[in-house]
Amino acid sequence: MTTLARLFQPAGSCRPRLRRFADDLGLTIIVCAWFAVLITLVNGKTYQLYDQMVYSIAIGVIALAILDGVRLTVLDDPARRRRWLLPFAVLLVATAPFAHFCGIVIGSLILGNPVPDLSSYPSRGDKGMILFALLAQLRLLQAQIEPHMLFNTLANLQGLIAIDPQQASRMLDHLIQYLRATLSATRAETTTLAQEFEAAEAYLGLMAIRMGARLSYRCTLPPDLRGARLPAMLLQPLVENAIIHGLEPKIDGGTVTVEASARAGLLEICVSDTGLGLPETPAPAKGSGVGVTTTRERLQVLYGARAALTLVPAQPHGVLARLTLPLETA
Amino acid sequence: MNPTPPIRALIAEDEPILAATLAATLRRVWPDLEIAGTAPNGVAAVQQALDLRPDILFLDIKMPGQTGLEAAQELAERWDGPRPFPQIVFVTAYDDYAVQAFEQAAVDYVMKPVSDARLARTVERIKARLAPAPGQAGGDGLAHLVEQMRALLPTAAAPAERLTVIRAAVGNIIRMIPVQDVAYFQALDKYVNVASSEGDALIRLSLKDLLPQLDADQFRQISRGAIVNMRHVTSASRDDAGKLTLHLRDRVDTLRVSPLFAHLFRQM
Repeated sequence: MTTLARLFQPAGSCRPRLRRFADDLGLTIIVCAWFAVLITLVNGKTYQLYDQMVYSIAIGVIALAILDGVRLTVLDDPARRRRWLLPFAVLLVATAPFAHFCGIVIGSLILGNPVPDLSSYPSRGDKGMILFALLAQLRLLQAQIEPHMLFNTLANLQGLIAIDPQQASRMLDHLIQYLRATLSATRAETTTLAQEFEAAEAYLGLMAIRMGARLSYRCTLPPDLRGARLPAMLLQPLVENAIIHGLEPKIDGGTVTVEASARAGLLEICVSDTGLGLPETPAPAKGSGVGVTTTRERLQVLYGARAALTLVPAQPHGVLARLTLPLETA
Repeated sequence: MNPTPPIRALIAEDEPILAATLAATLRRVWPDLEIAGTAPNGVAAVQQALDLRPDILFLDIKMPGQTGLEAAQELAERWDGPRPFPQIVFVTAYDDYAVQAFEQAAVDYVMKPVSDARLARTVERIKARLAPAPGQAGGDGLAHLVEQMRALLPTAAAPAERLTVIRAAVGNIIRMIPVQDVAYFQALDKYVNVASSEGDALIRLSLKDLLPQLDADQFRQISRGAIVNMRHVTSASRDDAGKLTLHLRDRVDTLRVSPLFAHLFRQM
């Protein structure tokens, strides 16, 4: 964390860049060594301390080289710094898996261990590390992901690791998939229906583990619609609304159904739940309106009158959200 | 010498894995504690607490049915009998508002994921509170909770538009009732009953939405379901069980005051 804090300190312009890099390098090695100690203490394999140190320092130095390199060249000029802050944050996230993989390769070469290849990455043990890294990156993710959801999921994972490691592994897979979809979606403009369904299923799978018997779900995507293109993050807010406003607050829970169909050149996606239903006074519906309003605005801009989002009461109870837009197949 | 009965805890948490995890962590840090049950929602939490009468209640904040805060309020209103009110520990994943409020009120609360070390500190605090202090009956949990809940309850909220006249539908006419003539507002399912010297009328507005629109000095919340006009209160009486009842000018009906608000009617 100290390195992170230093990254954004005002540039001490009087000192040469190489000197500042050397300072950071020293600090990084110390921090990484501590991390290695911490990891061996946590996993109880103290005999691996030397190996852990080599890996940890290799990862840290690679990450530092990338981030400090960018910082000392591009971000050094205060005028440019503000503009580059967001791309830098993205780079920060992207660096983590890259540095982790390369660090492990270099560490393995130094130690004479078998070098992992990309297909077996991340391994089971790495997933614990990814969880660790996720916690550290929480602040960066807050903008896109509701922290309550993330912390509750991590709390479930923490519990599952002790009770049912296999289920924990499944849940972590869902979480990684959900995070990947949510984060990449903010950059990508369009996506395929298959990808949107995968993200929805990852989220629902996650929530089904958390809510236990209270949640069941069904996703139906006809094979010929898998490649249909649509704007990113259209489906996800509807699915999350069904959970957050429909089923999570309902004592008995219920079922979420996500279905896609095509007719007359239109793509229709229906998200229905058997939850609490629409609020009786539609005026100050806190939260629920935001996702719907944003989605409607996006549809209006992209398609005008050719697309629509309607919310109607489902029978016997719950909400049916119906999204209609022009069918575009790549 | 009787052996001391085991200390019993009830866990209210809607996510089964988290409930099991909290129970397992408690067993590690406090092996003598008996976990009397697990309630899956805010409504069951109150019912099970009344049935099982635990010494400690772990309440998740965000639960279906009602929140942990609401459950604690309801339990405070319905708790009776000789057993001391349970020590309440709130459990939360992430909630800026709640955490802030807890810190101010110094309520015991733990954040999910719950670590052994953090829970052990909570356990120490509970043990200290459960041990009867010399010269004291012990287990003043309710009084303690009342103090803490008061800090959490919405007080004179953000100044909203003040209501001067209540427009209530009675049949097909709209009655205009000046707020100073209202004796009390009482929640009835989806409506609020407006009780005045002229009789009763219903409005479709929740007490929560109503409260900020009323003069906070004149209108006070006295339970989860009622707001009273202090200028209409003629007396407050306490029965043998310690329950407080309000009597009102020009009304034959009376109002029950929740222990959480009893301080409003203490003698000077």
